[in-house]
Amino acid sequence: MHKQKLIKLIKRVLITFLSIALLSLIVFYISRLAPGDPLVSYFGERAQKLTAEERSLALSKLGLDQPIAVQYIRWLQHALQGDFGISYKYKIPVTELISDRIGNTLILGGLGFIIIFFGALILGCFCAWHEDKLTDRVICTFGTVLGCIPEFWLSLIFILIFAVTLRVLPSSGAYSIGGGDIADRIRHLIMPLSVVVIDHLWYYSYMVRNKLVSEFRADYVLCARAKGLSKAQIITRHCLRNIMPSYLSIMAVAVPHIIGGTYIVESVFAYPGLGTLIYESARYKDYNLLMLLCIMTGAAVIVCGELAKFINERIDPRLRKSMRFTEDEEVDEL
Amino acid sequence: MSSLRNKIVQKIQSENCVRSKVVLKDGLEPELLFKNRYGNKSVLKSRFGRKAPLAAAVILAIIIAGCIFSDLITTIDPSYMDLSKLDLAPCAGYIFGTDTMGRDIYSMIWYGGRISLFIGIVSALISTLIAVTIGALSGSASDRMDAVIMRITDIILSIPSLPLAIMFQAMMGAANVISLSVVIGATNWMNMAKLIRTEVRQLRDTEYVIAARNMGGGFFYVLFKHLAPNFIPSLMFMIVMSIRSAIASESTLSFLGMGLPLEQISWGSMLSLSEKALMTDSWWIIVIPGAFLAVTLLCFTSLGNSLRGELSKRHSQL
Repeated sequence: MHKQKLIKLIKRVLITFLSIALLSLIVFYISRLAPGDPLVSYFGERAQKLTAEERSLALSKLGLDQPIAVQYIRWLQHALQGDFGISYKYKIPVTELISDRIGNTLILGGLGFIIIFFGALILGCFCAWHEDKLTDRVICTFGTVLGCIPEFWLSLIFILIFAVTLRVLPSSGAYSIGGGDIADRIRHLIMPLSVVVIDHLWYYSYMVRNKLVSEFRADYVLCARAKGLSKAQIITRHCLRNIMPSYLSIMAVAVPHIIGGTYIVESVFAYPGLGTLIYESARYKDYNLLMLLCIMTGAAVIVCGELAKFINERIDPRLRKSMRFTEDEEVDEL
Repeated sequence: MSSLRNKIVQKIQSENCVRSKVVLKDGLEPELLFKNRYGNKSVLKSRFGRKAPLAAAVILAIIIAGCIFSDLITTIDPSYMDLSKLDLAPCAGYIFGTDTMGRDIYSMIWYGGRISLFIGIVSALISTLIAVTIGALSGSASDRMDAVIMRITDIILSIPSLPLAIMFQAMMGAANVISLSVVIGATNWMNMAKLIRTEVRQLRDTEYVIAARNMGGGFFYVLFKHLAPNFIPSLMFMIVMSIRSAIASESTLSFLGMGLPLEQISWGSMLSLSEKALMTDSWWIIVIPGAFLAVTLLCFTSLGNSLRGELSKRHSQL
């Protein structure tokens, strides 16, 4: 029994790694098909003035003259040793560049995700409790309206209100120059964080609400009611437990959306995180940086997905009979 | 024959009526419950639900009509830069004011809406086409092939779609309307493909599909003649939603400077001036185009939601 479990676990881990490798291959191919000249980002304006000889020398030095397959294998070899190449624009190893900024993104995105995760549960329960009453309908309408506002515009409106008109919150950055204590960080975090949360919270709350509402129609609820359980007891002990597996897999799918939202918000607020870096690297054709960022984001999402599957199987024995692809019915357009 | 049917209908209705009486604790009039076969307050709900998309449809129709007939309702050329009238607040001649380059925002909104809506619709079409092809291919392939295709789809889905779009757009060089639609369409098909795959897998072993195959129907013939009519209803919701998200992506990309340039007026590129606008404290440059954008997105969302269909019609047991 134990052995079987171990084999299954190893299989899982292998699949995860294979997925990440495949992801890197896809990203690598896409980024190398680009018509832009990577030498421009390396040499800047000087790239145009290079002679043909210097050009080919530079290309071979950067390994860009080889066929894509060879380049990929070479990149993979280095990557496995922890060397992801240097940023063409900043001329320092990309890992260094990223490690400077990843903390900021983790704080913003991670905090946002946690708030959304629990907030959606609470708000969804609240709405389902008051199903079809005025409060529920008002929250539903209000939430749908808020959810439709694009992140960047919401950020702009926030800046306009709180930074330009009221002058209570800073409009950009993660900390003021010179300063950097906790209070200062928090002041800088309030606006980006609230935009990330506001823009995503309702979507998931609504899903929780709908799942709960359809759960209330099941016969076991009537049975529990007949046995004399209170409404709150039924929801927490039975209904919430039942929707938990699908909620977890929805939240796993939510990871890329929240990360994507975080990236946009970061670039509006000029918050020094991975989001600003990703746009910069795309604009300057900074292959190594762009690739690592995309792969890291994708890998985080893949790992989260596997984690959700793993937890689900723990808490819901029905899922253990390995279905290769669970029909994620509710994972529609996000 | 017909009397038998009437009897059955009566029986069903009376049974429902009895059922509703059981749940009368909600204090609803029995008549109301009787009219609605499924009991419950969904009488109210369906009425409420029917009204909302109507309002959305009307507003959306007005916006679309305004964009199509923008020549008729505007008098000022949207691309004309009047250097004597930079940054004007909304006033009599310019009801929405002018932007930092001296262009009239009122006419820019209608002309820009054309491009935004066009990109939304074209890229939704592109992503639907890709999704139908890949979803149907995966759904009708062998189990192993299906697993591989779905795994790849999942991997592409794991990169947030905006960075992916940015990567594609960076690849394709300077953006124009067509390239932007292609990029947005090519990064938005994954969820739809998964849905279609599920539907196709349910349908592929039905008799009529097997019959059509055996009679020599090719892949695309069977797909469009037999499979598509079955999954189009459930697809409609996703198509409307993908128009919505395509418009949002266009504006975000243009806002970030990765999409349409300033001269090519769209709601997104109008908003890309907002950084300058923030410095001069001219709120109208940010608020007005953004409000149009948000209202359009809201209309598409509520239209899409109304297509999604009702939840379970049973009444709550709680």
